[in-house]
Amino acid sequence: MRKGAMRRRDFLKLVAATGAGAVVFTGCDPSTIGDGSPKREFEIQSPDLNPQDFAWGRDLWYATAFAGVSGGSGLIARVYEGRAKKIDGNPDYPLNMGRSSALEQALVQELYHPDRIGGPLALNGDRGSGKYKALNWNDAMNQFNSMITSAGGSVLLITPPVSGSVANIVGQTIKAVGGQHVTFESDDRVVLREAMNRVFGSPRFPTIDLANAEFLLNFGAEFLSDWISPVHLSMGYGEFRQGRADVRGRYWHVGPQLTATASNADKWIPIKPGTEGMVALSMAQVITSKNLAKGGADAGSIYQGITLDDYAPDKVASKAGVTADQITEMATMFAQQTPSVAIAGTSAAAHTNGLFNLTAVYALNYLTGAVGTKGGIMLNPGSPISDTLPESTTGTSYKDWQSLAQKIGSGGFKLVMVYGANPVYSLPSSIGFKDALGKGAKVVSFSNFMDETTVNADLVLPTHVTLEDWGLHVPDPGPGYPIVALQQPVVEPFVDSRSFADLMLGVAKTAGKALPWDNNEAAVRAMVASLQQKGGGNVNATDPKEYFVTVQSQGGWWDEKAAAPSAPSGPSKPTAAADPKFAGDTGSDTFSLLPYPTNSLGQGDFAHLPWLQALPEPISTGVWTTWVELNPTTGKKMGVGTGDVVKLTSPAGNMELPVYINPAAAPDVALVPFGQGHEFFSRYAEKRGQNVVSLIAPQMEAETGALATAGTRVKIEKMNKKVRLSRFEGSVPAYQLEEYPIIEIQNLNQ
Amino acid sequence: MGRFIKPAIFGVIVLLVLAIPALAIVARSYILAPPEQPAKTQPIAFPHSIHVNTVGLDCTFCHRGATTTADSTVPALQLCMGCHSVIPTQDKPQLQMLVDAFNSGTPINWTRVHQLPDHVHFVHAMHINAGFSCSTCHGDVASMAPGAVVQVRDLRMGDCITCHRENNAKTDCSTCHY
Repeated sequence: MRKGAMRRRDFLKLVAATGAGAVVFTGCDPSTIGDGSPKREFEIQSPDLNPQDFAWGRDLWYATAFAGVSGGSGLIARVYEGRAKKIDGNPDYPLNMGRSSALEQALVQELYHPDRIGGPLALNGDRGSGKYKALNWNDAMNQFNSMITSAGGSVLLITPPVSGSVANIVGQTIKAVGGQHVTFESDDRVVLREAMNRVFGSPRFPTIDLANAEFLLNFGAEFLSDWISPVHLSMGYGEFRQGRADVRGRYWHVGPQLTATASNADKWIPIKPGTEGMVALSMAQVITSKNLAKGGADAGSIYQGITLDDYAPDKVASKAGVTADQITEMATMFAQQTPSVAIAGTSAAAHTNGLFNLTAVYALNYLTGAVGTKGGIMLNPGSPISDTLPESTTGTSYKDWQSLAQKIGSGGFKLVMVYGANPVYSLPSSIGFKDALGKGAKVVSFSNFMDETTVNADLVLPTHVTLEDWGLHVPDPGPGYPIVALQQPVVEPFVDSRSFADLMLGVAKTAGKALPWDNNEAAVRAMVASLQQKGGGNVNATDPKEYFVTVQSQGGWWDEKAAAPSAPSGPSKPTAAADPKFAGDTGSDTFSLLPYPTNSLGQGDFAHLPWLQALPEPISTGVWTTWVELNPTTGKKMGVGTGDVVKLTSPAGNMELPVYINPAAAPDVALVPFGQGHEFFSRYAEKRGQNVVSLIAPQMEAETGALATAGTRVKIEKMNKKVRLSRFEGSVPAYQLEEYPIIEIQNLNQ
Repeated sequence: MGRFIKPAIFGVIVLLVLAIPALAIVARSYILAPPEQPAKTQPIAFPHSIHVNTVGLDCTFCHRGATTTADSTVPALQLCMGCHSVIPTQDKPQLQMLVDAFNSGTPINWTRVHQLPDHVHFVHAMHINAGFSCSTCHGDVASMAPGAVVQVRDLRMGDCITCHRENNAKTDCSTCHY
């Protein structure tokens, strides 16, 4: 944009003056974005420049991509008069084929958020005070470059797992500067990647071929809401249930909670928290002893170092809280109703023995020949050009975060840069990350919002959001063949932000080792040219410009004809069996604390988007707050009902929460959703509910060092207070209709 | 008899007080009806007459949204400059203001002449594509003095409904209030 040209914000003020703008801006603070001044009600503006779609005056749909936290999706964005109005799934993109998640739909709110940081900020008060002064980019970059130069290679960069063009630029930049790059990923995924590495020989997430499976046995993985690639798996699940004329797939769910995903199952088998691996070994024992294993699978080599007879159903049943018959039935069904597939994740990974739970479950697939076959676990090939477009790396474990916090606190890093992560919120306070940031290191945040980490930064350099930026991403998991998603800006930047990749290119330049690209867009174009040189895939154009435009319009590059990776014959590394360990009292008034990610807020990364805040958690229908779910039997025993406030006390801390009585909670667990309790993070997230992370004791998964988020026991006390829990359920009285009788939900445990 | 005087006076006062808003509504509806209001001041005295009568432009050349969308849309300065970058501004101070605004990247805030309430949805494209000309509602803008466009039709609900009835268009509430 040339100097003095109208900025997007000014243009939108024009739109705000129209009827459509008035609707969109309802509820926004006039002092930030939009213009609600009555004085301007009768004004209408001629902007400086024409909107991009001016020639037609009709909406335009651009293909782009969202790297996201769950594999990402190909998207199309509807743009009218230069403004992104609607997000949908890209019908051409193989992983989601036109479908999209609530999070992806809400990306327009990230773009036009009223609390979005409008330009660079420099700390103008004490850290944590939130007092900043606005800077122009020249001054901000001078400060930034000075920090990089002063740091002299003692730099730490924290990002979420990044792949493709961003991973390439970040990797080369950190190499040029001489710093360290770590990635922030939820603990259950850190464990899952290691499990994949051990069982299937690669930390890449696999593709679950649900569309061709007949039986699904799921140990806790929230594959329809928050697990890896939920949109792709939801599509597969639709085919699994209703896509075939002669087969309706059968789904059994094993776990301590009837989650949003589990509520779709034909059968829920509640087990004690952390006993998933034990049950899987018991199933393996049944399959082996009854000679139900397929293709000569040898249980001895699959479960190396484990004596399966020690896990016969009668020896495991009482420990796991199930009957021996149930285990036998599960094993028989799994072995006989093929193609069958066993998966595990989310809560199963969140224990001190999480890795054992996952490896034991995934190894079951070898017994039924479900690895690398139709209807089973399909391995992904990774990046088509791994040197140019690297895959994402495994997230940093809690154990390593402890070391990093100590190193930051002791002056081991002179500059800490944070992009797309909020470690002060996401890590337990016992790790002391916030305090460490305050001990001398300069902190630069690339956040668009004043979150808990950003408020501790010396310099805030806001970056483009998804709909404003370029990028190439290698999704994890992929669809079973090589794929690269292309992200392109669908609108001009709404605020005075910069591309994160451009800032990284600037860092390398400041360090005297400029990368070969002038900017992020040039890097993306050059990398697409590398794809063209490689050949193959869905784009046939020979002219480089035509090739790039085709990739742009299709939303990426993929090669369906590429050969799938060969499946290994068994796990590459054994995992020792282990029982779960819990921190905290074990008295009769204590419960296993089971924090769970919701389908909307996940781990809290998107709590600033009001559409997601207002999206009810499917089982409790709770919105905008935090609650604790207790079994009706437990509630009756304690004399508490829905809305009564209780105090949860763990070795790490305590908090008061309203109760939601839920028959879908096992009697000995307390379920609390992740995602709320932000001290900072925009008007929609701040001071809502509580952050359950503060209750989690610093228990680690034994082998990976990930935080065992389900490894804490809590004591629950009645507080003789009552609040009205905000939820959809019961907000409108149900009236008996002749044709639709009201049925009462019965508690199976009573 | 005297005991009724005070209540009667009180009643009259109450009626007078109640009459004030009623009179205001009547005044708003009839005495100060939109077509009777004076032309509003504009930042630039834009001459529709030159553009339509002399140059021969169609309304939709500038108001491009009118044929395809709800809003008729006011053009960006960049569209004006498509022609005015080669038209001399000498002795044309109003035109110079427009060129200066474009060169400095300053949007022009016009005073809106036609303003329907927020609870009314008027779709320009629907009416244009049904065969109505712009002048049906906006009058002969081409003959209005520079910078003095005025509203010539009532454009309140009665006006809309009358026109809809005359043209066999729907008169359901949800036709406009949705």
